[in-house]
Amino acid sequence: MLDVAVLLSIGRHPVSGRARRAATDAQALEMALALRPRRLTAIHAGPPTDGEALRAYLGMGLERLTHLVLSEGADPVEPLIAHLRQFDPSLVLTGRQAEDGEGSGMLPYLIARGLDAAVVPDVVRIGPADAPNSIPGAADLVQALPRGQRRALTATGRFVATIHPSAPPARASAYGPARRGVIEPVAAQATADLFLSDCEHRPWRPKPKLMRVKRGGSALDRLKAATESKSGKGQLLVNPTAEAGALAIYDSLVEQGMLP
Amino acid sequence: MIATALTTVVLAVLAIGAALAAWQSRRWLAGRPAAVGVVAGLRALPGRYLVDVHHVVGRTPFNARFHALVAGGFLAAVVLLVAMGVAIAGSWAGSRIVWLLLAVVLAAMLAGALMVRHRRRVLRPRELSQGRFARLPLSLLGFSGCLLVVALDQSLGGVMPEALALILVAIAGLAMADLVWGVWKGPLKHAVHGALHLAFHPRPARFHDGRGRDTGLKPLPLAPSEDAGTVEPGTLGVERPVDFAWNRLLGFDACVQCGRCETACPAYAAGLPLNPKKLVQDLVVAMDAEASDAAYAGNPHPGRSVGKAHGGAALPLIGPDAMIHPDTLWSCTTCRACVQECPMMIEHVDAVVDLRRFQTLELGATPGKAAVMLEELRATDNPGGRALSRRWDWAADLSLPRLPAGGSCDTLLWVGDGAFDLRVQRSLRALVVLLRRAGVDFAVLGDDELDCGDVARRLGDEATFQSLATRNVATLNARRFTRIVTADPHVLHTLRNEYPAFGGSWTVVHHTALLLELITTGALTVTKPVGRSVTFHDPCYLGRYNGEIEAPRALLDAIGVERREMLRSGLRSSCCGGGGGAPLTDVSGERRIPDVRMEHVRETGASLVAVACPNCALMLEGVVGPRPEVAEIAELVLAATETAR
Amino acid sequence: MTQPSPVRRRVDPRAERAARTILTGQRPRLLPQPVAVAVNGRRRDPRALRAAALVQIQPRPRYDWARDAASAGATAAVGIGVAATPAIPLQVIAEPAYLILAMLDRPGGEVSEHDRQVIAAARLLADAGGGAVVTVSTGSGDALAEAGSDRHVALPDGWADDYVPERRAAAASALMAALSPRHILFPDSPDGGDVARRVAAAAGERLFAGVQSLGPDRATRQSAGGSLEAGHRPTRLMTVAVDAFPPLDGVRHEARPLDLAAPVMAGEELPPRLGGARRLAVDPDALSLSETDFILSAGNGVTDWQSFAELGEALGATRAGSRVVCDAGHLPRERQVGASGMVVSARCYLAFGIAGAPQHLQGITGVRHVIAVNTDLHAEMIKRADLSIVADAQAVMPALIRLIRERRHA
Repeated sequence: MLDVAVLLSIGRHPVSGRARRAATDAQALEMALALRPRRLTAIHAGPPTDGEALRAYLGMGLERLTHLVLSEGADPVEPLIAHLRQFDPSLVLTGRQAEDGEGSGMLPYLIARGLDAAVVPDVVRIGPADAPNSIPGAADLVQALPRGQRRALTATGRFVATIHPSAPPARASAYGPARRGVIEPVAAQATADLFLSDCEHRPWRPKPKLMRVKRGGSALDRLKAATESKSGKGQLLVNPTAEAGALAIYDSLVEQGMLP
Repeated sequence: MIATALTTVVLAVLAIGAALAAWQSRRWLAGRPAAVGVVAGLRALPGRYLVDVHHVVGRTPFNARFHALVAGGFLAAVVLLVAMGVAIAGSWAGSRIVWLLLAVVLAAMLAGALMVRHRRRVLRPRELSQGRFARLPLSLLGFSGCLLVVALDQSLGGVMPEALALILVAIAGLAMADLVWGVWKGPLKHAVHGALHLAFHPRPARFHDGRGRDTGLKPLPLAPSEDAGTVEPGTLGVERPVDFAWNRLLGFDACVQCGRCETACPAYAAGLPLNPKKLVQDLVVAMDAEASDAAYAGNPHPGRSVGKAHGGAALPLIGPDAMIHPDTLWSCTTCRACVQECPMMIEHVDAVVDLRRFQTLELGATPGKAAVMLEELRATDNPGGRALSRRWDWAADLSLPRLPAGGSCDTLLWVGDGAFDLRVQRSLRALVVLLRRAGVDFAVLGDDELDCGDVARRLGDEATFQSLATRNVATLNARRFTRIVTADPHVLHTLRNEYPAFGGSWTVVHHTALLLELITTGALTVTKPVGRSVTFHDPCYLGRYNGEIEAPRALLDAIGVERREMLRSGLRSSCCGGGGGAPLTDVSGERRIPDVRMEHVRETGASLVAVACPNCALMLEGVVGPRPEVAEIAELVLAATETAR
Repeated sequence: MTQPSPVRRRVDPRAERAARTILTGQRPRLLPQPVAVAVNGRRRDPRALRAAALVQIQPRPRYDWARDAASAGATAAVGIGVAATPAIPLQVIAEPAYLILAMLDRPGGEVSEHDRQVIAAARLLADAGGGAVVTVSTGSGDALAEAGSDRHVALPDGWADDYVPERRAAAASALMAALSPRHILFPDSPDGGDVARRVAAAAGERLFAGVQSLGPDRATRQSAGGSLEAGHRPTRLMTVAVDAFPPLDGVRHEARPLDLAAPVMAGEELPPRLGGARRLAVDPDALSLSETDFILSAGNGVTDWQSFAELGEALGATRAGSRVVCDAGHLPRERQVGASGMVVSARCYLAFGIAGAPQHLQGITGVRHVIAVNTDLHAEMIKRADLSIVADAQAVMPALIRLIRERRHA
């Protein structure tokens, strides 16, 4: 991979709400560093107050980072596309969804459209898979699917990849390099995001969890089905024969869909 | 003739020795500068030697005796011989009295040398190094024995043929040359470097002429972020030997490989890849330009072979193929058992933390779950990444009074991060009930209490520690109280000994001291003496770090336990394995450290082990299989002071 | 009243009586039970229940009230000819006022729970003003009728197995142009969310991602990392968060294949930039514990490590262990479950020889189904488990392996 760009956002700790490096963005940077590209461009677009939290990325061994300084509430897509066009990267890596702000997960797609690139979501590995017949000029990728499944595919031409949490973990951020790294502020023009300001925001209140209830039956049956599994008071077999115990486990696993 | 020959030989050998020592000094002088009071240090040297060093050496009386005989005899003999040489023209130089005097000191030295030989050849303790050290008894015996014959002969008027006497002088000279050559890389190095280390020690306050104890880590200056970009790379912590301060390098060079640290180290006992003696020797040989540990002749780091490590004064110390393997560095529990035992007053834990600081602050190479913990700590101010308000979940029904900024109370209770753990909550609850029962006016900080930064600091993350420390100091300085009470010795040590550097200075009390006070003043009455056989496991950060070994024992006696002592207790107690972030770095060994400690408990036959630290409670309770019960001391006090209703 | 709603229908005693009346004899007779259930299925019919619970009449009536509905129905059917469960009336929206498109995943051809939830969300928008729900997926629409689909557009069958996000997105865009739906809903799943974002980027429209609540005038979603609720008028393109809407129950719609004026399978002419997709074989033991669904865990009570490994292989489960097991080196450290190891959220956790220290139970709080095998009846793990077996792990493990192999070959 000759020329890699990484898009880095400011994360937000789910409990304390404190600004930090975003988890999947950090993994994207980790993957970019592991690819040992000829040129690595790291870009953040956001308000000027973001500086300190960005240092956590520098602490991973990045020497410099471009900060496209936007006004509060501005749409970062256009300035990012304009900036990326100057570098013309063959690969753009980023996390799959921002931890703060709108967090719609649209940015990689919009960037890809702006750069006329393909998008590959949920990537966990870039590089030759166990593919015997890889096409020249195409990159081999591995995607994470639900329930731990993996899919190999190839992408031709320039592409934007979003990184899945199952990708290799990000290295720790060290204080010394974070302190020495350089953040280059670049003034950028951006239009305000009108849709976002049109949304009304209020604190999120957790909703009651949707219970997966067996269809049909009487109300009593459905209530039983919904509450019994939660009680933790399950079936108990005391000193069965090994075969009887095994059969009970087997039936239970079949019922749970773990065995065919 | 004999006298002239003898003094010539001695002076020549001494001159060579002095030259070697001077040449040697280049190695440790290459270190970073350090602020040292040279004159004051040299003036304090004899006192420190006679009091502090003898206090350590005296723990093994046999060794103390032979050391006094050999070292005293050798020094006296050399002084007499030099005096004879200086006064060669004087009338008394060849007098029989002087020869007789010389014979007496040499006889003392010979006795000592025989004891050394007995120890090295017959007793053969495991922890002693071989190699150069194996020749030591021979050299000592050769020097003292040959010269003794010559001196006796001379004091009797010289009946021996002159040729034989000269041969004996030559042999003695060779033996002495071997001893003095030891200044270079052998046993006698410790005499010169040890003396200088005592004078220029990096922690002068630990000696009897200071406070007697100095265990807090020193702040690492972190340049403000405005200087970003101008700071030289790799300046935080220690990467290469030359990054140590020169007096620290001098300290390593003083190591005499006696192996006392090795026998005391809990990680070594559990078969983790750390031998403190080898660690210091790794640092010593790494001071050379082209270094290898091939010449090391003691016990290796458990599970690692000797001879594969390579390094140099300007090469990185830590690495899979460097002088010190990362696993060795991260095995240390910072329990200070090695420092407590070291007769050369080497500060192993300071060295480990300095090395860890570079690994964490510059490389981000903190291993295992430690890096994850540090990231959560930075984002949430507690190691588990939980909401700070959840620290008080266990006390929802206790309605603990909170101390707001500007408020005042008598006793401030600092619960620490243990409050997030189910097990520790039990002992905290016991403590709160006891405080209530005794009518203590106490309050807690509530959500303003942050992690004290102890683990972050021991893992080398000085930046996070300083951030937490400055905020905690500001929180505490905004409130008025007479004392802080905590059940966590790590908090106690950090608040008492390490926060003063950040502008916080309060009376910090461990809960065992407070509970003892409450019982002696009658605020708590013992109604149901415990009556079981109990042994007390000293927390390192309470005992060795703060010298508090009496209060918990007096407290246990007050509640009527049958107290038994482990072989290793008090200041020489053995660690539970829970300190210094060791449970997070999780280096595997042959056994777990708490299993080793539980063996010590079992040896006493006690049915219960009392602990006074949340980490000890968690580590010892984690030992599986049939074992003595583990109880926090507050829980025992609560059970013993139950009032009948 | 244009269309009778099944929920509102009440018992009509007169009609019922008329249905039970037999006029063939000399005088009208009444049957004791209704011939066909003309009653609302949701209403409780004490008489029918009573009859269903009746097990004997002579010498005196006996009732078994504990019998479940299914077997009760069966006996009743044998006794007196009572019709089976009432048929759900078909809802037809002949002339929809507008269309709501639901782009479904149907992973492997199955209608997933999330797909049903998307249709339920689409119904909320459709029913508010007489609109119709158009489902778009591979396969036929038959399975979608009871989930609430009015019309169905079938995508090429080959797409069910292939990874063709660009073609799916192109098809969605083409349908958007052809049908001009008022809203298009996607599941916010890895694949559905991906297609939704491709469509939104291509159309240059705003995607309202991860909808949590939905009405004709207002949709909400989580923003700022889940700390804020953002509300807005429903946009044209939305993705539906998982488990935000209950799937529909007791309805039946047409799911009629939609006649399209022109075939909309666009995108075939575009050379896809992503290709060569194939599933990789996944070793369950290579999965991280946070990702896996099925964990086989060992504790101090396991000594037969050979059987444990074989059982893991036979079950296709990811192996894990308690702290003691990892300390002893039987499993690597990253396989440790508990407060000091991994906190897991697998669907099924099969524990052998684990007593259940508090730290271990903290690690499995998120597990849905726990099966425990332990020799100690009073172990905490036995109390926590949904199925507990007090037995020696060394005996049960080989028996379970044998059973699995038998059933596999059978």
